[in-house]
Amino acid sequence: MRRALARSAAKTVKFILRILGRGATTLPGKVALRIDPAIISKEAEGKFIITVTGTNGKTTTSHMISEMISSFDGYEVINNISGANLASGIATTLICEKKKDSKKLIYVLETDEAAFAKIAGSLNPKISVVTNLFRDQLDRYGELTHTRDLISSGIGNTTARLIINSDDSLVASLGKGREGRSIFFGMSKDSMKFNNDTYPSRKGVLRASSDAVFCPECKVRYEYRSRSFGHLGDFFCPSCGFKSPENTYSVIYDLKESPSNEGYRFSIDHNGDIRELSLVIPGMHNLYNTCAAVSAVTEMLKLSGETDVFEKACEASSKVKPAFGRMEKIPLQDNKKLCILLVKNPAGLDRSLSFVSEAKDAKALMFLLNSNTADGKDVSWIWDVDFESKVTSFPEKIYVSGERYGDMLLRVNYSGVDTEKIEYAPMNEAVDLLKKAISECEEGGCVYVLPNYTAMLDLRGKLVNELGIKDFWK
Amino acid sequence: MDNVSLNIGHFYPDLLNLYGDRGNVLALYTRAKRRGIDVNIREITIGDTLDPSSVDIAFLGGGQDNEQNILKDDLVRSKGPVIKEMIESGKVFLCICGGYQMLGRYYLEHNGNRLECLGAIDIYTEGKKERFIQDTIYEIELSDGKKVKVAGFENHSGRTYLGDTVKPFMKVIRGAGNNGEDGYEGARYKNCFCTYSHGSFLPKNAAVTDLLLKTALRNKYGEDYELPYLSSEAEDLALRQALEYLNG
Repeated sequence: MRRALARSAAKTVKFILRILGRGATTLPGKVALRIDPAIISKEAEGKFIITVTGTNGKTTTSHMISEMISSFDGYEVINNISGANLASGIATTLICEKKKDSKKLIYVLETDEAAFAKIAGSLNPKISVVTNLFRDQLDRYGELTHTRDLISSGIGNTTARLIINSDDSLVASLGKGREGRSIFFGMSKDSMKFNNDTYPSRKGVLRASSDAVFCPECKVRYEYRSRSFGHLGDFFCPSCGFKSPENTYSVIYDLKESPSNEGYRFSIDHNGDIRELSLVIPGMHNLYNTCAAVSAVTEMLKLSGETDVFEKACEASSKVKPAFGRMEKIPLQDNKKLCILLVKNPAGLDRSLSFVSEAKDAKALMFLLNSNTADGKDVSWIWDVDFESKVTSFPEKIYVSGERYGDMLLRVNYSGVDTEKIEYAPMNEAVDLLKKAISECEEGGCVYVLPNYTAMLDLRGKLVNELGIKDFWK
Repeated sequence: MDNVSLNIGHFYPDLLNLYGDRGNVLALYTRAKRRGIDVNIREITIGDTLDPSSVDIAFLGGGQDNEQNILKDDLVRSKGPVIKEMIESGKVFLCICGGYQMLGRYYLEHNGNRLECLGAIDIYTEGKKERFIQDTIYEIELSDGKKVKVAGFENHSGRTYLGDTVKPFMKVIRGAGNNGEDGYEGARYKNCFCTYSHGSFLPKNAAVTDLLLKTALRNKYGEDYELPYLSSEAEDLALRQALEYLNG
């Protein structure tokens, strides 16, 4: 009875919001949860659910998984879109989204880390992916070990197969005591060592602020045989012996070419079955996201009783297109392109800077920094990132805007760029500045824009009108 | 003067590196380097021996509880006596948030548990449940009597109280400051400067960066040493814009 009432209330709210031209991605679920707090477990029962959580790569990985599954005959996907990843957004998705019953339906749900702890038990997913854990807006999320414990308690309430990152010590430790259902993905350890030895990375004046340096149980510094980026790598604790687990899905790669460029070739090794792939969404970090998605889809197909599962998953991964605000290249006139890279935390900004400094088509770089509640009120995090080792490879044209443009301007300046070489403007002139950047960009080049969350929403809303770019909730 | 050099000792950079504390080291480095000073950044962490003569400015940031617990023994037992000696002899220290608290006498957790700290400066801290999390503006009086505004960001649950030998570092214009009661922010004892301000603290506040540089280099090269002039246009613009944003 309650459930029926909650369902119809949610649908009514959604109908009205859509008439008003709003996205309606969370409010219907919020209303439903008010009426029936147990609505999520009731709606989730009997459904095949895959959850994706972790600091970075949630949206990209869930998007890849969704696109891959949708490409299979006989399968359909329902997912929560555009970052509606709290309980309210997930309830909205479970209640309001519908597909034909004739096909096998898979729910792919991107889930916020803290929300995951609360609703994982109710969702009881068949597969649960944990991408990575990096410091996020600490004024909102609190300590990293706390976030890890939240995810662990969420997992404890499920019977899900776990797809977890072996290179992230915090994430890998989620598999302790859950060996029977833990499936590890990550970089091939040999491959990582080869790349470290062959292409040593450039060093800046100061190391980036690092996470998870010490084994939380022994208080002893982790040692690494090799690293990929941040605290990700082939770690081991010299005291208790805890180490990066062996992968079931391993990325074999060679940094002779940069993964920042389209068509980068790499392979995934699944128990000796090695398949070559082309990186559809560029960036070193997307090697992890692609591997996580291939792992999740392969495991889903296995659970569904299919054959040639790994082969099918690999083939499907080549058909994926980028998600909203994530590595999406928007074509403009004169063969120019615009690429918006959402940056929400130090690890994300570090990856994006590295990406832009290696992208062959990067002719302009624009930063947009806001400090609203959804961004984190504290802008200090931009100083945790190592700009200094990448600045020499930045595009010549740099533009800065956002409500906190002064802070970002100084950040870029302190990395070694003269202020005279940086154009800047307040947020209300951001679109004009972007248009200027586009007009000054050479033919065939790409303007890379790195906004944080509310800056992206603001800019995106304006671009819909000014440049005729599609609406994000469609 | 030729070949002026500055050694920055970055304490526990792998453990105390919250909220952009790294930006403070970068600010000291940048404003010294741009003046033609040779700058050396030395990382000093757990297990390292501390040679006071190798450090002209010491920096301690803040860390997450888990990280601070890891280093506490090393700080209090191993390096403690040398750090105390350095502070007493007038060495320049900048300590932010957790670094500030750990130099004090003790930290009283809100459950009544008392954590003994280094006791290098006469301050103590009481933990409360409610955190102060907000943008801040302070006022600081420089050695020439000039008062300047300083912008930052605070994020702490500790309330810090100063003993008689310690002076407040800044006056609160906006924010809670040391304890939300007395209108002051941070502490100064000899040349040990402490604050709750992240932001990062130094980059936008070039006057404070220069105060630390000048003090450290006069320690090293004598009271006649003059810090060469350096424009602070980019820093001042960032400060002005931050103040406008906060007042807007």
